[in-house]
Amino acid sequence: MSSQANKQAFETLVRPHFDRLYRLAFRLTGRTADAEDLFQELLIKAYGKLDDLVAIEEPGSWLSRVMYNLFIDERRRFARRRMHTVEEGFLPVDGIEGFAGTENPEQDQRRLEQLNQLDLALKQLSDEHRLIVLLHDTEGYKLEEIHALMEIPVGTVKSRLHRARARLREILTETGTFS
Amino acid sequence: MNNSNLERQDQEILELLKDYPMPTANAGFYEQALARATHEGSRRQRNRWVMTGFGSAIAAGLVLWFVGATFLATPNLPQPEASIPGITMTLEEPRTVNLVFASAAALEAATLTVTLPDGIELAGFPGQREITWQTSLVEGRNFLPLELIALSSAGGEVLARLEHDDRNRTFRIRVAVS
Repeated sequence: MSSQANKQAFETLVRPHFDRLYRLAFRLTGRTADAEDLFQELLIKAYGKLDDLVAIEEPGSWLSRVMYNLFIDERRRFARRRMHTVEEGFLPVDGIEGFAGTENPEQDQRRLEQLNQLDLALKQLSDEHRLIVLLHDTEGYKLEEIHALMEIPVGTVKSRLHRARARLREILTETGTFS
Repeated sequence: MNNSNLERQDQEILELLKDYPMPTANAGFYEQALARATHEGSRRQRNRWVMTGFGSAIAAGLVLWFVGATFLATPNLPQPEASIPGITMTLEEPRTVNLVFASAAALEAATLTVTLPDGIELAGFPGQREITWQTSLVEGRNFLPLELIALSSAGGEVLARLEHDDRNRTFRIRVAVS
């Protein structure tokens, strides 16, 4: 294939998965700059493996898995960066600034406060627990998909999800977040 | 706490998690990422100058400087003060600056020397004020990612000097630290 044909083939294969991959990158890293970095590195790596990519039945799953492995390989580096994120998380300017609200400003304000409490609670979970709960309960991944991504048994995914929710419940109870 | 309360709280958590904002990419990011991947992916296959890993990722969100005129094609005149690019760093927070060298021809065994001011370090080279590489350049644009860390608020100028045979070119970047 010519260089231009390679580029077109690559774009056709990867573009349908961009939003989902970007969100995965963000869920893994927790920061826009790092998510962009991880997303970019994935595309560079995937383009280098274009011959493999065209033969893969489910490129979306393959790309997610490659991204996850890239993240794991560079985890120590991200762990160092995340120290800053945790500190920033407790600054009043951080947190969720908006969401799809209703026509009831008071209710929306209350919801925003709850979401900010949830944001802080999520940051207190371990990396694995936070990732699993966000992928399953926010992003809508199935247990099987998380199993394939993280290469851990479905039973382990379930138990970690259960423990993550239980820990969230504890934290949110302590902060008086529930209605 | 009774079971019905726990169930109600679990339900509230699930609803909150569903409302938890979905991150979206900045406008234009996908196009840039795609262009860089196809450009950079091709380059990596033929030129190992750009190292692998996040530290060298040519990514959006990282600073990208097109420094200087084309190497070998123009004389090494001093860089006008007004054209010296500047970045502001946060103390002790790594930041990647991508230098882009345009070369009029492919070059083997070029020498690149990066000189750092006091208080600015290159990641992986603690305490070194001057770091030298032997490298090859392809015709066209060559990327060099530098991951800098500011260890003091003094700032200063980072110099990158590219040499080949008897020719050389020096690029300057002003670094301020907040």
